[in-house]
Amino acid sequence: MTATADLKEFIAAYLVEAEEHLAVANAQLLAVESAQRKGDTNPRAVRETFRSLHTIKGLSAMVGVEPVVAIAHRMETFLRDFDRSGAPLPLPAIDALLKGVRGIEQRVAALGRGDGAAMPSDELLAALDSLGFAAVSTAPPAAPLDLEPALLGKLAPFEIEQLIRGINAGKRALRAEFTPSPARAAEGMTINSVRERMAAVAEIVRVLPRAVPVSPGAPGGLCFVLLLLTSSTDQAIAEAVGIDVDTLHRLHREVEAPILAERGNVSPEMATSELEEDFSDAQSRRGVVRVEVSRLDEAMEGLSSLIVTRFRLARAVAALNKRGINTRELSEIMVDNARQLRDLRAAIVRVRMVPVGELLERVPLLVRGLRRATNRAVRLELEGGTAELDKSVSERLFPVIVHLVRNAVDHAIESPDERERRGKPEEGLLRITCGARSNTRLEITVTDDGRGIDRAAVARKAGRNTPNDNAGLLDLLCIPGLSTRDIVTTTSGRGMGMEIVKRTIVDELGGELEVSSELGKGTTFTLRVPLTISIVDAFSFECGEQRFVVPVAMVDEIIEVDSECLAQVPAQEDGGPTVDIISRRGVAVPMLQLAQIFRLAAAEKYGRKAIVVRRAGAPIAFAVDRMLGQQEVVIRPINDVLVRAPGISGATDLGDGRPTLVLDLVALSTSLNVRTGASRAQP
Amino acid sequence: MKLYVIFTLAGTEYALPVDAVLQMQSFTGATLVPGAPAYVAGIVTVRGLVVPVIDLRVRFGLPPAELTLDTRIIVTESEGRVVALRVDAAREVLKLDVDKHQPAPSVVSERASGFVHAVHALGTRLLLLMDLSKILGESSHDPARASLVDGTKARPQLPS
Repeated sequence: MTATADLKEFIAAYLVEAEEHLAVANAQLLAVESAQRKGDTNPRAVRETFRSLHTIKGLSAMVGVEPVVAIAHRMETFLRDFDRSGAPLPLPAIDALLKGVRGIEQRVAALGRGDGAAMPSDELLAALDSLGFAAVSTAPPAAPLDLEPALLGKLAPFEIEQLIRGINAGKRALRAEFTPSPARAAEGMTINSVRERMAAVAEIVRVLPRAVPVSPGAPGGLCFVLLLLTSSTDQAIAEAVGIDVDTLHRLHREVEAPILAERGNVSPEMATSELEEDFSDAQSRRGVVRVEVSRLDEAMEGLSSLIVTRFRLARAVAALNKRGINTRELSEIMVDNARQLRDLRAAIVRVRMVPVGELLERVPLLVRGLRRATNRAVRLELEGGTAELDKSVSERLFPVIVHLVRNAVDHAIESPDERERRGKPEEGLLRITCGARSNTRLEITVTDDGRGIDRAAVARKAGRNTPNDNAGLLDLLCIPGLSTRDIVTTTSGRGMGMEIVKRTIVDELGGELEVSSELGKGTTFTLRVPLTISIVDAFSFECGEQRFVVPVAMVDEIIEVDSECLAQVPAQEDGGPTVDIISRRGVAVPMLQLAQIFRLAAAEKYGRKAIVVRRAGAPIAFAVDRMLGQQEVVIRPINDVLVRAPGISGATDLGDGRPTLVLDLVALSTSLNVRTGASRAQP
Repeated sequence: MKLYVIFTLAGTEYALPVDAVLQMQSFTGATLVPGAPAYVAGIVTVRGLVVPVIDLRVRFGLPPAELTLDTRIIVTESEGRVVALRVDAAREVLKLDVDKHQPAPSVVSERASGFVHAVHALGTRLLLLMDLSKILGESSHDPARASLVDGTKARPQLPS
């Protein structure tokens, strides 16, 4: 291995870590800004930002990314001053800091692409340099706190201020102690669990590690001092956290004491406080491993072959059984094996899952940028929920959300003047919700209260008839190459990127996309995507003597084909597939013959079962010969151009060693260009 | 000197450089893919990858043949694509002197639509050297579309 190769490996880790800290810096700066807009301060967020940049600087220096070091260093210096002074950050400074973060992001992204990081522009450096002058050093306030100087010295001024503000606001400032030991850890009591439980009953201002003499009660020679603000009673806190009530002490001193003088002498210790903080931080992060997705893919690959082997085993057992051999014991083992595989699968899938919040965390920054660029007043409402989704799905979803948000702010939401004229609140509303619809699907809505989409104008532009429903409107919006600019100005500007949105959501993720829009009132886009991909629960069926599978998540219903409920539609002239109408609970659903579409030799004219899927909300049925069962299958991609066909999303192995095609019936119906007529029949 | 896999198709012998061949295996059938070109016999799984099978008889405009015990597929790899070729039989690996390749007479290469780029005389045997990239057809491989359903990255290459 050469030195360059080593460095390359290192760069990958650097990128991951840098991106994480950049995300933190962004989020914290926005938190500072929103607090200050409300006339509040958020010193903790300032400190977090400082720490992120400090780490970025260190990492960048290690791998020799000088441009990033240059930017991060300036920001860090500035933030440290403010962190010490506890003064609020001026709003223009926040702006410059966000620009600095953006500058680092661009360079990190360039490194990720394999390009070098460009030196920062003079403009950016000058903006960051000028920050220094704005920094004001305010004297730390008097601290009437009952705390020994060694601990007090480790507190940043803002933390002291926070405690005093809390006391003045009528809260009680307390000091709690927790001494970790193996015995307590066995009971589930670690500094992390204490932190967590404490956070529920009190505001944790700071956690300080403190060396104590080694004793049976403190085998590690270490104890943690938690400084708190709370309205709860000592008893309540002790109970909630599970610590002795006598480890709690009041910090509030009735009489003003000359602590200030002592403070001045402890400044050298201030410098070490950072180090101590890092130590307690390392404690709280213990047990977290960062893993490259490709390694998870490897594990998944291994599991895939296990599942295929299991199918083969099941077949072998069935064959033995047929020959009259007693396979009871084998079958029992198979049942255990199946459960273990399911658990293992779930475990690997869980590792790949990221919280929805991660997907949305960058949206506030995006909206903020758009707000400035477009002079629109926009209020963002985010409802993230607790759902988790596969990393690969999340990565594909993010650009889509960016498209939708940009369109909404850029074009849908009117200027403040125009909104006032229309009797709307001056501030436009952009609302994004994310929630799991079931165990397998995530629903995301992006809603604005802007001008809505002018169907007639979009239709004119596209040279089509005005659609009479939302599904038709979506088809129009997703016409490839539908000119963006004209529509942007004359109507709502929904042309841009919708084609890409649809391709990602529908074609790539096998999800659904819907739009509903009311002129003058606003527009909502609804996206439904699977939470995970690659291993899916699927129905297997037979059609024209060939076996296929279709993901369960895609199937609305499986129905019997009863010839009495069938109506033949007069043959079309365009040579397209025959469409029949089948009545399902009184609703007419168009039905296609899969064997005919695929030109397979069908045993009978009509398949006996039909698989109903929804395309843009409207049902469409595919008749097949017979259903075989339901099982988990591993979907393998079909890569080669020779065998890529619409409606075929991959292949799987059902245990016979031969690939079985995985169908995407929704995409298939789209490729056939069959109008789903049932949308009209529905109420 | 270079190693070549020799296979037969309708009584004619063809040669394919060994370094383009991943493996050979007997052929018992492939899964039909609706909508694929007629010369694609279907897909098979090779080392976990889904691979298309080109029926060389159909590709060369020869009459189709029944499956026999000799029927083989030759799994090839070129330009990041892995494609299997169905042939009548493949039994031999020969060392051929590259300098003794003769360019295919223009009549031959035209008739064979450029599939054959050279011929090699070996004693009384005449071996036709194939142009694999011509046979695979357009290689506009689009990795962006490749792994739409599966979350895993497309793996254009097999570990050799």
